[in-house]
Amino acid sequence: MAARAPPRKSQRPVIQRLYALLRDLHLYFGLFVSPFVLVFAVSVVFLVHAWLPKPGAAPAKRTVTDITLPADFESLKGPAQLAAAHAVLAHLGVQGEIGFVRQLPRERRFVFPVSVPGRETTVDLNVAQRTATLSTRTTGLWDATVYLHKMPGPHNVAIRGNAAFMRVWRWLADATVYLLLFVSLSGVYLWAVLKTERRIGLVLLAAGAATFGGLVYALV
Amino acid sequence: MPSSDATTLDASLASTLRAWNRRLHFYLGLYFLFFIWLFALTGLLINHHEWKFAEFWPNRKVANTEQAIQLPAAETNLAKARDVMRQLSLTGEIQWVTTRPDPNRFDFRVARPGTNIEVQVDLKTARAKLQRTELNSWGILHTLHTFTGVRIGDAQNQRDWLLTTLWALAMDAVAAGLSVMVLSSLAMWWVLPGKKLGGALALAAGTIMCGWFLVGLRLIAS
Repeated sequence: MAARAPPRKSQRPVIQRLYALLRDLHLYFGLFVSPFVLVFAVSVVFLVHAWLPKPGAAPAKRTVTDITLPADFESLKGPAQLAAAHAVLAHLGVQGEIGFVRQLPRERRFVFPVSVPGRETTVDLNVAQRTATLSTRTTGLWDATVYLHKMPGPHNVAIRGNAAFMRVWRWLADATVYLLLFVSLSGVYLWAVLKTERRIGLVLLAAGAATFGGLVYALV
Repeated sequence: MPSSDATTLDASLASTLRAWNRRLHFYLGLYFLFFIWLFALTGLLINHHEWKFAEFWPNRKVANTEQAIQLPAAETNLAKARDVMRQLSLTGEIQWVTTRPDPNRFDFRVARPGTNIEVQVDLKTARAKLQRTELNSWGILHTLHTFTGVRIGDAQNQRDWLLTTLWALAMDAVAAGLSVMVLSSLAMWWVLPGKKLGGALALAAGTIMCGWFLVGLRLIAS
């Protein structure tokens, strides 16, 4: 019996230390990720109800003439085309992620939207005339939450991340998921050690699982 | 000693509120746990098209069938589609995808997570062609993340299936639950002894990074 006692005593602090560490990490990671969670949560309401407050200002239009274009601009494809388009955008003073590139070969035109969260600029590039018509619309804070929620997303994956901010956001969106998973798992552990709350917690966990399972079963 | 009684009462009320705030935090977390995991993991899948293990579109199964129907007599397109679906024993969310209507055709899609059925009714011959596309489990998970029945900027489609409405309500509830959990966590952190500085740094780091994307980029790129 005497031989068994010391390991028990030495184990207790380890468990307590683990509990304290998990509690601290749950707190700090949770606080860090909370603004991102709010962005995703708020935008869910707009996406689920297909509604957004209308932007106040009308699009601002301007035309830039005598723009410099690479000689082979029209024949470029993929990353080379995007790089050339970004070089043109820099000349035009427009920054952001190119959503897609629509080429109108007969008219020798390219149309592409360029976005940062909360603003979209549609660029209409006329290669023959070497002009660009820019239509800039401030879409606002709520639209910015929706844009960030949907990015990088499953569409136009070959060109997604053509702006530096989108590559960083892709990383942050992933980090939000990983931290949310950690916070939820550590939260379950922190609840499980509370003996007085186990019964009601289990009831809620089971109710949530039943709601989730029932809905998914019915939908699929 | 009325002021002392009042102080004790205030302290007792504050303590009760703190205890319930803490309970609310993990009650909500436990109830929505599976929803949170689903939306978090599927969000990851949606952002990682390159993950081959989760591929679903190339592995889809497509089946074509055709059968005779009675032409729907209803007045509205929705009622007509429901009549056709009843005859074909189909259930799901009706989606209008035709951009160039043909007077001799009545086309729509019936969607549910993992299954899309393109219905093409020939109004001359009273026959319906069905193209059923079945996705694997990854496809089902993927669709659950985005299955709302509506899209911003698409006035043509409205939610028309009860289960889509219930799923949309669940999405709203998860979003509201997460928001309440964030607010309750702030309240819990604020009264926690010895954690104010570390918590403030973590919160400030998250807020600055998030704020940079929400507002900062627009200001700097003007």
